[in-house]
Amino acid sequence: VTVEGEWIMSLRREVIEPNNPASGGSGAPPLSHGIRGGEFVFLSGIVAVDPVTGERVHDTVAAETQQILTSMARLLESAGSSLTKVVKVNVLIYSMLEYNNMNEVYREFFPVDPPARTACGARLSGGSKVEIECVALA
Amino acid sequence: MRDVIVAPSPGLDLRRHYGHHQSLAIRAGGLIFCSGMIAVNPETGEREHGTVTSEARRIFENLKLLLESAGSSLDRLIQVHAMIYDRIEYDVLNRLYRQYVPNAPPARTVMSVQIEAGFKVMLDVVAAA
Repeated sequence: VTVEGEWIMSLRREVIEPNNPASGGSGAPPLSHGIRGGEFVFLSGIVAVDPVTGERVHDTVAAETQQILTSMARLLESAGSSLTKVVKVNVLIYSMLEYNNMNEVYREFFPVDPPARTACGARLSGGSKVEIECVALA
Repeated sequence: MRDVIVAPSPGLDLRRHYGHHQSLAIRAGGLIFCSGMIAVNPETGEREHGTVTSEARRIFENLKLLLESAGSSLDRLIQVHAMIYDRIEYDVLNRLYRQYVPNAPPARTVMSVQIEAGFKVMLDVVAAA
C-alpha cells in the first residue's frame, strides 16, 4: 500500500479550536470543542457561556438555547462548516416541560431543511438548563 | 452532500403532527442520521403509548420502513442510542431488541432519560446508507 493509500484508508482527525477560546485554562474539562473526522465535524455538548468571560450563563431555556446556538454557529464556521451543514442535533434539556420554549428559539436557527434531531430530558451538570451537541458535514 | 429523507408514510412526519422542528432523517457522507423515533402510527401519526415492548416494536417497524425507503435496512445499523424512561426496564428492552438485530448488532448506548409526551422508549440511530 502506498503512503497515499494509507492516508485514504485512515481518515484524518483534526481538533477544532474556537475563534475565541474563552473557556481555556488548566481547569477546563478534558475535551476538545470539536473534532473533524473524515467528512464530518463532531462538536462537544455546548452549554450557555458568556463569550467574553467564559462564565456559565444561567438564564431561561429560551435565552440559553439562543446563546448555545450562536456559539455553535461560530464554532462550526471556525471549522469551515455552518449551521446549514448540520446533519444531526442532540438536545438535552433539564425538563421536557420546557420543550416548546427550546423549540421556538431553535426553529429560528434552522429555517429550512432542519437537521435530524433527538431531544430528551436529562440531568445536566453545573446548573445548565440546556446542552446541545451536533454532527455536521465539514 | 446533505439530503433530507422524505417520510415514507405520512404518519412518520413529526413536523406535520406535533410541530417538531426536525427532519425525519438526513443522508450525508454515506450515512443516514435519524431523528429520535417514538411509537407513532406510521399512517396516521397517532401516538401509541404502551409497554416498553410494544413501543419498541412499533419504533423498530417504523425504522424498518424508513431505512428501507432510503435504500438501507436494519441490518445496516451502525450505532443506536436507546433511551428508556427507567433503567429497570433494561432487560425488557433487550428481549425485544435482540429480535430485530439478531446478528452482528450495532454499537449501542442505553440511557434513562425523560422522553417527550410520556413515552417509555425512544431510539436514535445512525445507519450506513
